[in-house]
Amino acid sequence: MNEINEKLSALYDGELNDAEVDELIDIINEEKSLQKRISMYTLIGAAVSQQSSNVTALDTRKNIKNAFSNIWFSNALTAAASVLLTLTFVNNVDFSRMDININSSKQISSAINSKEAKNTAEKSNEYLADHIMNIINDPNYMSSKNSLDLQNVGYKSNSDNGYIHSKGNESFQLRIENKNLGIKQIRYWKHGNKMIYLVPLNDGRVLTLYGNISLSSALSIAESANK
Amino acid sequence: MKKNSDDIDSVLIEKAKNGNKGAFSILVNKYYPRVYATLFSFTKSKEDSEDLSQQTFIKVWQQLDSFRGDSAFFTWVYRIAINLAKNFVASSGFKKQKINTSIEQAEIDISSFEDIESAVIHKQSLKEIKNFINTLPESLKTAFTLREAEGRSYEDISVITDTPIGTVRSRIFRARESIIDFMQKELITNE
Repeated sequence: MNEINEKLSALYDGELNDAEVDELIDIINEEKSLQKRISMYTLIGAAVSQQSSNVTALDTRKNIKNAFSNIWFSNALTAAASVLLTLTFVNNVDFSRMDININSSKQISSAINSKEAKNTAEKSNEYLADHIMNIINDPNYMSSKNSLDLQNVGYKSNSDNGYIHSKGNESFQLRIENKNLGIKQIRYWKHGNKMIYLVPLNDGRVLTLYGNISLSSALSIAESANK
Repeated sequence: MKKNSDDIDSVLIEKAKNGNKGAFSILVNKYYPRVYATLFSFTKSKEDSEDLSQQTFIKVWQQLDSFRGDSAFFTWVYRIAINLAKNFVASSGFKKQKINTSIEQAEIDISSFEDIESAVIHKQSLKEIKNFINTLPESLKTAFTLREAEGRSYEDISVITDTPIGTVRSRIFRARESIIDFMQKELITNE
């Protein structure tokens, strides 16, 4: 069984050849415990990729124990999902004091009183969620040429490698959305070792920065983009 | 370079398209937790989220032939889940009430998306898992961390640690087994 479990671990990592995959699929199909193990690998991976200092505790310790208990004793998948993190939200309210907000808060306030309020809220969620998921899951999503010149803030651009902008130890990709994603101030998240910044621009577009980049650098770029 | 986890997804998707339900089952198990977590953030209901998760994967199975690989597989699955969630919310009086509440709060924060992504792993439990990983034998910890935290391929890890690929594979597996054992013993039985 250990040999099969080891192959399962390699399968999860995408490290089996086609013949081994075929063989393992047949085995997994007959063995429910192996299927659950895949979910456990997902859960472990999610836990490892997070930094505890950025994790917000929502559950009590008892709850989390119950969740883990469920993994083993009842509904494995659901319990795993309940503790899964794909992204750690680290929104910083101090952004609102840094004069980088745009007029979108007024737009949103107006929208709240309109008949389209419900749709606006729903669409905002949808666009933002889709956008974030694309950044995380689609390697080509951020590899687009853009018209933002960052030389004035000291960044070099390399078009050979997915339009990566770099300076010193920092490197990131950027993308500009022509549609409003429903955000009214800069938001940022941590995903694995990378940061995602969404910056509302004065002209209504939204700038996305993704990579190894500090908060202060993101702010500099945001200010530059808004000039 | 990191071996893209999409590689194995592509293999499994192709097999699933050819009717291999075992391959599809692996995909379901791999992505169910994330789909469920997403749906729970919309419905705030365990039962509704389970139902919608099931519906999502039924739709995924039914529409699998239309997946062309233009985006990551999970992105595609995620969209199906979101659409189902939206329809569900729109058709439910209870959920309408929730949306209205959300709109009233929108002046502060229109998006409830953050709620989805806010951590639900307890800090203490996460810390215990991380502490346990630090107690693993150095060889296991190194291989596992290079894979999970840095996304390195087995080949990369083999070069970095000057170890045969077979040994790398074994070390990563043993690290995972140890962590699962730890979670089972320490986070479940020690109330």
